[in-house]
Amino acid sequence: MNRPCPNMQDKIIDLMLGALDADEARAVQEHLDRCADCRQYLQSLRAQGEALVGLGQEMGADMEARQAKVIGVLETVSPVEAGTDRIFPFIGGYIRTAVAAVLILGAGVAIGRWTSPRPVDVEQLRAQLETSVAASLRPVVRESILAEVDQRLQAGLSANDEKLRAEVVEQVRRDLRVLAAQFAANSEKLVDERFAEIVQLIEAGRRTDRERVAKALEQITTRTGMGFQTLAARANEPPATLQN
Amino acid sequence: MELCLDERSDQDLVRAACRGDRTAYAGLVRRHYNHVFLVCLGVLGKVHDAEDVAQDAMIKGFERIRQLRDGAQFGGWVVAIARNLSINLLRQRKSTEKALGTGGPPEPARAEASHEDLRQAVARLPWDLRLPLVLYYFDGQNVKAVAEKLDISTSGVYLKLRTAIKELHDILTMQGETP
Repeated sequence: MNRPCPNMQDKIIDLMLGALDADEARAVQEHLDRCADCRQYLQSLRAQGEALVGLGQEMGADMEARQAKVIGVLETVSPVEAGTDRIFPFIGGYIRTAVAAVLILGAGVAIGRWTSPRPVDVEQLRAQLETSVAASLRPVVRESILAEVDQRLQAGLSANDEKLRAEVVEQVRRDLRVLAAQFAANSEKLVDERFAEIVQLIEAGRRTDRERVAKALEQITTRTGMGFQTLAARANEPPATLQN
Repeated sequence: MELCLDERSDQDLVRAACRGDRTAYAGLVRRHYNHVFLVCLGVLGKVHDAEDVAQDAMIKGFERIRQLRDGAQFGGWVVAIARNLSINLLRQRKSTEKALGTGGPPEPARAEASHEDLRQAVARLPWDLRLPLVLYYFDGQNVKAVAEKLDISTSGVYLKLRTAIKELHDILTMQGETP
């Protein structure tokens, strides 16, 4: 079969469907009178349409049997299973939509708050700092305090609010100054106390040594005196051989 | 169950069906089944598939009848169920064929024209072209009615019909030229 004129193909179909106005239809008809290929194309389309109608009738021939089959299946469906009541049947379409929108928005807000980063609590941070700084001055504790201060400082610095960040930095600085002053004062006091204890120990040792030396000298003096007296007494006695 | 036509309106039949009256629903089936079937055929392109899905759609319509607010809208409502079921089945088939690597172009039909050739050619059309074609030729509806049923403009229906007719003619011509 020869092909129809390319620019006429759609117009021929539109003519067959009745989609053209009178002037367009007349123009296409005039072309068909002159063009055998387009005329043959229209005839072929009309034959195709008739075949489609015939096919539709053929397929529709069993409709009653199909309907009867469906109705037969309906018998097996229990009326109890024939749908369920709405939870709130009195609520109209718009109200249901509004309620659904509110629920969805509420859920969105809740999820947003739950998942968003929490802001730094300055008061809580300050209380923790004061408690930690005043707790102890021992090195280990001091290290942990400094680590915590550093952690809080990082948390404060990471906050988006510049003002809040400045407040946190200033507070940390103040607390560090207080910590340093307290540490220095307490360190001097501790050194003085230790020094006084050492001095007392030295003095006590000295006193003990003096007492021991004095006792030793007294014993030596006593024993030396007794020895001289014995020697003097023996010197005064006459030799035994001379008397015999 | 008697097969006589029920003269009550769709609204009355729906109201009765909501109370579990299967006879009333049978009246709705007799009134709307043809259109439901043709829509399924238009989407799926195969009679057996269309029969199965049309039956499912009518049964689902009965099960969900109490969800229908306006009984006068039953026709459009049940057709929408049928159309969605058909499109879902078509998608499942395509995804299965894609997964299995099957489902290539159908084999060319015999050279001589017959209803079977035409049926196969119609089945090869894309469903969005086949559906208006089936409603126009098989159901004998005019373009305006098809546009209302498909919820598209009349110019949209003309465009789809024109394309469908042209493609169908090309398929049949190619089949005729196949040795």
